[in-house]
Order: sequence, then structure tokens, then C-alpha cells
Amino acid sequence: MKVIDFTGKTIIVAGAGGIGSSIAAKLNALGGKIILMDICDDAMNHTLSKLNGENYAYHCDFSDVNGIETIINSIIKLHGAIDGFVYCVGIGAVRPLKQSKYGFMQNVMNINFFSFVEIVRCLSLKGHFSPNGMNIVGISALGAFLGNSTKTAYCASKGAMNAAVRCLAKELAPKCIRVNTVAPGVTDTPMAKAAEEYGAGSKEHDAILERQYLGICDPSDVTDAVVFLLSDMSKKITGCCLPVDGGKLSS
Amino acid sequence: MTDKEKIALLEDMLELDGGSLRPETVLADLDEYDSMAKLSLIVLMDDEFGKKLTGEQIREFKSVQNILDFMD
Repeated sequence: MKVIDFTGKTIIVAGAGGIGSSIAAKLNALGGKIILMDICDDAMNHTLSKLNGENYAYHCDFSDVNGIETIINSIIKLHGAIDGFVYCVGIGAVRPLKQSKYGFMQNVMNINFFSFVEIVRCLSLKGHFSPNGMNIVGISALGAFLGNSTKTAYCASKGAMNAAVRCLAKELAPKCIRVNTVAPGVTDTPMAKAAEEYGAGSKEHDAILERQYLGICDPSDVTDAVVFLLSDMSKKITGCCLPVDGGKLSS
Repeated sequence: MTDKEKIALLEDMLELDGGSLRPETVLADLDEYDSMAKLSLIVLMDDEFGKKLTGEQIREFKSVQNILDFMD
């Protein structure tokens, strides 16, 4: 018998590259039916090719928050009530403050934060989630707790997610909906590689790696935490942010 | 965009007074051309010129003229 089994569960994974791809594959391997959402069709097709059974992909521009509801409604109409939702969408925007104008800040917040809350809002309406409840996990970032030069928009968006999740958890608890976040430290993903291109060799970059004393995370490390939070093994955990950071926050 | 306008963009980015930079100015001689300025340059190239600038390309810039040439 599997300790964790998602057979018969329908789980939406928003963000099909990097960490999202790893999460989708693991949830599917544990029996889950996966519905992917991403703006990049290539990333979704690549992830879909690793899954077994019937799984689906929905094109979604997360910078267009007003367009989310239509997509979620069409997913519900076709696939019925949802058991789980994971939000792995994020742009790792690195930009000095003097060039971080409102339009840039708003775009980061739309993609990293507002679309997450909008999806949770749409999924938590009566009939849209399973009668047994629903488990939600947002991928936050350790940057939500740290001061990272040139990452004001990114860290603020992740801090906003953590704060919102505490409120959502309390508000949605009567509906048997749990909401948590996972905060990865430096993880080996395409997004991290792009950021490294900017900061590789800098003192700040080296210091980050020194602080993460258990080493760089693999997407599978983050996935394991997400699987736990989506499963009944964490049934008394809600409104929390679980760091998967190789010890960085403690150093 | 003329070279004069491009230089004005760089002066603004580096928070230098107008007329501080010349095409022959050596970047290594500028205190303001630090790691933050290099990151700003990546953003400037993307925003204003639609060009992706890599860390490798930045390391090859020796003078203001090299940056101006990349902007074309």
C-alpha cells in the first residue's frame, strides 16, 4: 500500500517548467490526474510527455489576471471538482530599484501573486472543489524572508503570497480547504540559471551558496514537500510556509 | 538613436552629470561602473534596445564606445 496515493484525484499544476514539471510528474506517478496551466505550450507538452494516463494542458497568460476566471471555469466544466492546486508560476525578476517602475512591479505582482489568489478564489467557490475538501500549495521563495538587493518586486510578491496564505487558510478552513506555501532556497532550475547569469561570481551570490549549507536544492526536494502538503499526512497543517532551503534560513 | 542620445542614457543610468562620458572613456576608470551598474546595463539594453546582454558580453566591454556599438 502506498503511504501517499492520489488515485482518483484531479490536481491543477500552474507552471509547467522547472519545479512545476517535477511536481506534475510525481503527483501523476502517485496516481493523480494532472491539469497543467502555463503560458509556454512547449513546456506543457514536454511535461505532458512524461505523464501517464489522461492529463490536460491549458494555455494561460498569468499576467492577465482578469482572464483567469474563464479558464478555471472551463477546466471545472470539463473535469469536475478539483482536489488539489499547486502554483509554481513565477518570474525571477532581477532589477535595480531605479529601473523598477510601477509597470514592472505590477507585472511581477500580477504573475507571482495576484493570479495565484485569483485561481484560489475561483477554485474555492461551491462545486468547484471536491466535497472532501481541497489542498493548495503555493511556491513561495526564501527571498520572502530575506533582504535581496535588486529583487524588491520578486521578494515582495513572495512575501505577499505567504501573508495571503495565512488569511486564506483561516477563511477557507470551514470548506475543508488547506492552504500552505513552500519556500525553496536556491534550486537548480532554468529560472535560477538565468538569475545566475546576472550575479555569477559576485560576492552576494557566493555568500548565498555558503549559507545554504546542505547544498543547492534539486526540484525533487521541493516536490517532496509539496506532495506532503497535498496529502492527508499533513492534515493538521494549514497557513504555514515550509522552507526547503538547505538550512539557509537558519544560518 | 544618435551616439549623443545613447551616451545621455548611460550617464543617466550611472547617475553622472551630462557631459561626463565620452566614447573613449575607459570603463575600468569609472567608480560608478560597478556590479549594480552592470545589472542596470542588462536591463537598459532589454528595455530600450530589445537586446539580451550576457555576463560574458559585459566582460568584453572596455570602453563606452564598445557599449555604443552593442546598442546598434
